[in-house]
Amino acid sequence: MNNRSDRWLAYFMILPVVAAVLAFVIGPTWDVGKLSLTQVVMGMERGFGTLDNFRALAADPLFALVVKNTAIWIIGGTILCVLVGLAVGAYLAIDSWQTTILRALILLPWVIPDVVTAMAWKWMLHGQVGIIGSTIQAAGLTDEQVSFLGDPSLVMWTLVVVLIWRKMPLVALILCAAIRSVPSEQIEAARMDGANAFERFRFVVIPNIAFSLTAVTVISMIWITAEFALPWIMTGGGPANASQIMSTYIYQQSFEFFNWGVASAMSVVNLVMLMLIIALYLYVNRRSWASGADK
Amino acid sequence: MGSVNLRGIRKAYGAVEVLHGIDLDVEEGEFAVLVGPSGCGKSTLLRSIAGLETISGGEISLAGKVINHLPPKRRDIAMVFQNYALYPHMTVAKNMGFSLRLSKESKSEIDRKVTDAAEILGLTELLDRYPKQLSGGQRQRVAMGRAIVRDPELFLFDEPLSNLDAKLRVQMRSEIKELHQRLKTTTIYVTHDQIEAMTMADKIVVMRGGHVEQIGSPLDLYDRPVNMFVAGFIGSPAMNFVPASVRDASVMTTSGAEIGTQEGVESVGEAIAGIRPEDLRLSDTGQEATVSLIEPTGSETQVTLRTMDGNLILTTRDRLDLDVGQAVHVMAAPGKTHLFDAKSETALKLRESA
Ligand SMILES: Nc1ncnc2c1ncn2[C@@H]1O[C@H](COP(=O)(O)OP(=O)(O)OP(=O)(O)O)[C@@H](O)[C@H]1O
Ligand SMILES: [Mg+2]
Repeated sequence: MNNRSDRWLAYFMILPVVAAVLAFVIGPTWDVGKLSLTQVVMGMERGFGTLDNFRALAADPLFALVVKNTAIWIIGGTILCVLVGLAVGAYLAIDSWQTTILRALILLPWVIPDVVTAMAWKWMLHGQVGIIGSTIQAAGLTDEQVSFLGDPSLVMWTLVVVLIWRKMPLVALILCAAIRSVPSEQIEAARMDGANAFERFRFVVIPNIAFSLTAVTVISMIWITAEFALPWIMTGGGPANASQIMSTYIYQQSFEFFNWGVASAMSVVNLVMLMLIIALYLYVNRRSWASGADK
Repeated sequence: MGSVNLRGIRKAYGAVEVLHGIDLDVEEGEFAVLVGPSGCGKSTLLRSIAGLETISGGEISLAGKVINHLPPKRRDIAMVFQNYALYPHMTVAKNMGFSLRLSKESKSEIDRKVTDAAEILGLTELLDRYPKQLSGGQRQRVAMGRAIVRDPELFLFDEPLSNLDAKLRVQMRSEIKELHQRLKTTTIYVTHDQIEAMTMADKIVVMRGGHVEQIGSPLDLYDRPVNMFVAGFIGSPAMNFVPASVRDASVMTTSGAEIGTQEGVESVGEAIAGIRPEDLRLSDTGQEATVSLIEPTGSETQVTLRTMDGNLILTTRDRLDLDVGQAVHVMAAPGKTHLFDAKSETALKLRESA
């Protein structure tokens, strides 16, 4: 009937959301983009339209290390988070009273605040008084107490383990729900077709949950990229920048060294990188999104 | 292909037993149909044979080999599910070839078998499509294709046609029957549609509440039901039942009218007479009745009659000149009355001569 005014009403109703997105997402992003192209000296803007900030970034000897650490953090973190989440989710999808209890308990790491998690792990992993290191030592596995957060070769992966402990539960629950919603007839048909447990998982379950798997991967990647409190509180980027990642480095550059220009240039690099990874992932998985429907 | 022998199959879910000792033999190449009301355990029995459920007692053998403890993949049985259970992410060809791929057959061998099966089922044009892009009937055929490429000892069908519309159901019914005549694979087919059972089966197994009530050929069951349940279940419209007594081969209703004659039956004071609608005739004598509904279907006419002993349904191929409200007399054709014990509901024995 009155299509035209209906449409305007619809636009009007989503206006607040659109305005909020523009104000809080696009706006700051735009500002950061602008800032990255502006030369800033001692907190004063000195001319727009220069690539100096990016040049400075490229020349920064630390930048390569930060990129490497960030790659471990984001890519390693995401892959492990999804893989562990998938394994745990598949286990939780089994019907038994144990899994019913676990399904409730597993959200615990998820509801504890970031700061508490970070502090708790920091003390448990402490080089002298940490319970984890001393337990391993007491068990005779190491001669001296390992300082997980103090050893440059261990610190990045230690952070990733804590990250997974914190982020994996929700991934596991989402995938568990997806696995449980796979039609049981398909699983039974596969059993009749002669598929063993692994083949059923690989050829029936995985394709059926491909959509959730893709979504959860992208979401974890975004969470992990945005995660700041955990690494900052646990290591502050140390020892000697061995665990410096994009987010902590950007924070340090902006709010400790007041290098706004370089920090914003790094933010832009970070954003572009993230968008590229997500675009690539969606491209690779485009078939599972459509589920073979179009053709 | 092989025969199936079930001995005392029991299945309990927790404390609740849903199959109470099923004995059944299906000969090699036979098409057996399990029928029964909803919840009587047909699917459970079928799934037990398939190995999708573990039984709590009894013995299942296929082609002379006990298969109780084998997992489904080692039983050499293919199953077609009610809602097809096709893999949505695989094309028709992949769906059909999946089992062969799992058993590591060569690509050319898989292609050959899939192409053959597709040809038999008229799916050649559709091999590259995804299940989503198929109609219900086509999906059903793909599900059957998935079963036949394996060339198993036994086919199991669980209400494969119940999701199709009436016309397609009739068509697929004959297709399945033709397929069976061509492949001669032993088949057990579950349905709760007794017409499907009558038309397709070599052997019908009527189940109720986890028991087998009667096993026999379709006409066997139709002509000689062992109890009122089977008598009422097989045939449409259902058999008429009236309380009756028998004296000197004459069947009387409680109002004293003669409703049929049946040689070879002992006289009994209290019984149930069962008369199929097509065996009921309008006559000059017999049970008094009033016509309460006339339903012509074209080929035949169904008449509902009100009597003092309840409603009776009569069907006839003759064109009747009847009006609603008209008073008539009805009687069963001679020798066409089934008699059941009033208490146990089992059929009364006929003397040998009859
Ligand atoms: N997993 C289960 N747990 C407990 N009881 C079950 C389970 N599956 C089936 N039953 C019970 O077993 C009985 C037989 O079920 P089944 O599915 O075999 O019936 P059916 O004859 O196939 O019926 P329908 O014609 O409706 O498909 C039913 O009473 C049902 O409630
Ligand atoms: Mg069923």
